[in-house]
Parts: sequence; C-alpha cells; structure tokens
Amino acid sequence: MSDTLEIRKVSKLFGNLEALRSVDIKMEAGEFISIVGPSGCGKTTLMRIIAGLEEPDAGNVWIGGNKVTAPGPDRGFVFQSDSLLPWRTVWQNAALGLKLNGQLDAEATERVRNMLELTGLAGFESYWPKQLSGGMRQRVNLARALALDPAVLLMDEPFSALDAQTREIMQTELLRIWEVGRKTVLFITHQIDEAIFLSDRVVVLGRRPGRVREVIDVDLPRPRTLAMKRQPEFVAMVDRIWGLIETDVRNSVKEDATNAA
Amino acid sequence: MSAETTMNQPTDRPQKQVGFRRLFGGARTHRSQHTGFLSIAGGLVAWELVGRLVISNSLFLATPTQIAAQIYNLMRSGELFIHMGVSGAEFGIGLIISIILGIALGFLITTNKIANAILGPWISALYATPTVAIAPLIILWFGIGLWSKVFVVIINATFPMIINTEAGLRATDPKLIEAVRCFGASPLQVFWNVMLPSALPYILAGVRLSVGRAIVSVVVGELFGSRAGLGFMITQASEVFNMPRLFAAVVVLALVGVILTAGARYLERVLQPWNK
Repeated sequence: MSDTLEIRKVSKLFGNLEALRSVDIKMEAGEFISIVGPSGCGKTTLMRIIAGLEEPDAGNVWIGGNKVTAPGPDRGFVFQSDSLLPWRTVWQNAALGLKLNGQLDAEATERVRNMLELTGLAGFESYWPKQLSGGMRQRVNLARALALDPAVLLMDEPFSALDAQTREIMQTELLRIWEVGRKTVLFITHQIDEAIFLSDRVVVLGRRPGRVREVIDVDLPRPRTLAMKRQPEFVAMVDRIWGLIETDVRNSVKEDATNAA
Repeated sequence: MSAETTMNQPTDRPQKQVGFRRLFGGARTHRSQHTGFLSIAGGLVAWELVGRLVISNSLFLATPTQIAAQIYNLMRSGELFIHMGVSGAEFGIGLIISIILGIALGFLITTNKIANAILGPWISALYATPTVAIAPLIILWFGIGLWSKVFVVIINATFPMIINTEAGLRATDPKLIEAVRCFGASPLQVFWNVMLPSALPYILAGVRLSVGRAIVSVVVGELFGSRAGLGFMITQASEVFNMPRLFAAVVVLALVGVILTAGARYLERVLQPWNK
C-alpha cells in the first residue's frame, strides 16, 4: 500500500519562535521526496506534526483521504540508529509496530519475515541490537517501519549516525528496497548529495521562520548508481541547493557559537 | 537447560555456562578466583593460629574449627534450622513486601507530580535515616513475634527500592519513548515496553541493596526482642559468653548474605539477557 501525503499550509509557533510558516508540500503516491535545510528550519517539528504527536497552529496533514489527528499505523517511521529497543531482539523490534497496534496475525508475521529478508537481516532475527553494527541497526529500523505496510514512510535523518562509507551503501540499499514496494517516502536529511541521490524532488527549507524556499526536481534516471554523484549535473544541483541554504547555515553556526560562549 | 538458553540467544554463538563458578565469580578469570580463594583460606588459617596461640581464652575469640564444629552440631540437632526458619520467614515476607511496595511507590512518584510533592521529602529523609534505630520502638508496638521484624525490614528495605525504581524510570531515553509513541503506543504500552525494561537494571540493583538491609533489619529486630531466630541466637550466646555459638550464627548470616547477593546478581543477568 502506498498513498498520497499532503502537508497543507502548516504553521507552528512556539511562543515567539515561528517554527513553521505555511509549509505546503504535496506528494504523489510512490513519490520520494527529501527535505533539506539548516539546523532550526523546523524539520523535527514538521515530522512530529506528521506523526500526530504535535498539533499545528494552522493548516493540517492528510494521508490519502484522512486527516492526521494522532499516531497511526498508516505512517511508518525510521529514526536515527538509537531508537531500537535494546531489550527486544531484531525480530521483536521489527514486529514492534504491528504488536503495538494489535495486528500481529499470521499474515503480518509473514510480512515481518519478508521485510527482514528484504533488508538483509535473515539469520539475525534472534540477535540483540547491541550485537549489531550501526548499519545493521538501521536496517532493522527500516524493516520495522515497512512491516506495518504503511501508506507513507517517514525517515528522519536515518543515516546521520553512520560513517561515510556505510552511509553510501545504505543509500543504495534504501533505493533497492524502495523499488520493491514504491512507498511514498518523506526523507529528512542534512546532507545535500544524499537528498538528491535518493529523491524525485528535493524540498529546501529556510530557517526563522521554517518555510519552503524552493522545490527542486531531480530528473536523474532510475535505478541510480553511486557513480551518478560525480556527474556534472549532479554536482551542479548540489551547488545550487548549497547556494540556497548557505546564508542560513552560516547564521545557524554563528548562533550556536554565540550560545556556547 | 539453563535459563539463558531459553531466552532467544543467537544459536550460532557459544552458550555461556551457568554454574557455581559464574554465580560467585561473575566475569572474573580463573586466576583471580584462585586468589580470592587463597585469601579466604589464608585468613582462616591466621585466625585459627591466633585463636590457638595468641588469644587462647575462648571467652574472647572462637577459632574457625570451633565454629565449624558448632555449626555442625547445631545442624545435627536441627536447632540451627529452626532459627534459620524463623529469621528466613521474617526476611522473606519483609523483603517481598518491600520490593512490591518500593516499585509501586517509585512508579507513583515518577508519574504523579502531586504524589511526588507529598511523598518525596519523606522518602529522601527516611532513606538517609538509620531507621533500625527505632527497632526497639517497633518491638514495643508490635510485640516480639514475626510481624514486628517484618515491619522493621519494611521500613528499612523499601527505600532503596523506591529510589532506584524512580531513578530507573526517569532515566528512560526520551527518544525511545517518542519512537514507540510514533508507532501508536498507548501510555500503558509505553510503560510496559519501554519504561519498565529500561528501569529493570536499577530495580534489580535496588533489590540487591534491599537484601542487605533486610538481613541487618531481621538481626537487629531480633536483638531487641524475640523468641527465636539467628539474631536471638546471637543475643543468647553473648549473654553467656558462648563464643563458638555466637560466631556460628554470625558466620551463617554472612554465608546467607553472600548467597543471596550472588542470587540477586544472577537474577540481574538472567532477567536481562540483552545486557551481557
């Protein structure tokens, strides 16, 4: 199952801080969109609103024909690597979403098996997360989200804790897995090349207030290979996005430095 | 089959053996176990020599061989087991109530701000107070039977449980809670799936502390008023200067303490196979 995700003019205030201003993103079913932006552009807030853990002050989020009001199994989440439960085995972690929603029937069990197989975890079912590498743990996170067979897959900087090489491998792995089910994927990242490499479109956010700066179509053919990252069109696109956020990033770094002083 | 092999261990890894050595040696190497054994044996020999050659008056010191003989006699007559049974019941009932009460109160003050505001100061104050000091008063209130000692155990052993449960629940990684909530977990599911397992190491460490406190409480409670028990044995023996008998009770208590603490450690490992 795969469905549309519409973020309709979502705004959010925290006191005086305007975290999001009228963010508007419409995703087709099966589309892969990445969001890039500097620290403080409201990415986390946006994710929490889509999750249904935070309520927007204006606007709303729709999945298929349904308005988001609370967390639900129509959304699968992949977080940074530390979100696996240490006291659950790989299998139990992968089945967690289904278990919490009371959907762990025979069919779902079969799907957990398939997803572990798809993510390259067959044979590791009874391992503890502690026994796995960072890359492997992210595979479990992905399997856990996919096992729900969600309409939309939301990935919040899932590879940020990985080293550069593992990261590249995981990017190609993610695309391979995505080609199988073609979920609607909203992928949040700091890394511009990662966003371009994975996506159909890249949404560039600005900060203070968090808002959509520009949406960039990526018309690289699929399936994509890591060699594409060195093509001139690719590099030009990275430069362009970097140009859009550079001032924001510099400001955010400056602010961090002032706060630390 | 050991308990650990039933806990979903990866089958291609060698199973760790569970036995006497692991129970008492933990992860230590053979050599340091050897050293530990030699240290105890050397100490006993020295004690024996001092008892025979230096302080030979048995009013002042009993030697290990005398104590061992005394323990053997007490076991043969069955007297030791009567006293152990009485103390054991006081200890067991008191400890179980302390553990349940401690976890419940720890959970209450973590999740309920009002309860925390009301109970918090009392808990901090009583945790640091040597409440064994009021044991005589409790004997006065509850008599010299079983329940006065159970009560002494409770007022001493509950506080480490409360404090550790609270610390454990508060130490839960907020990212894990957030992740599980994103998957639609109810507050109750968050508690069972995230907070409780996360707090388990703290709770079990609390049990270990409470075991020690409970043993001391039983003995102190019995010193102030009782008809039987290991503490009663100690009082009785000291009144007539029967040193071997006094030491026999002390040694039995020490051994029980070692075994129970090792048991608590073993429990920590078995209940958390992911933490090896």
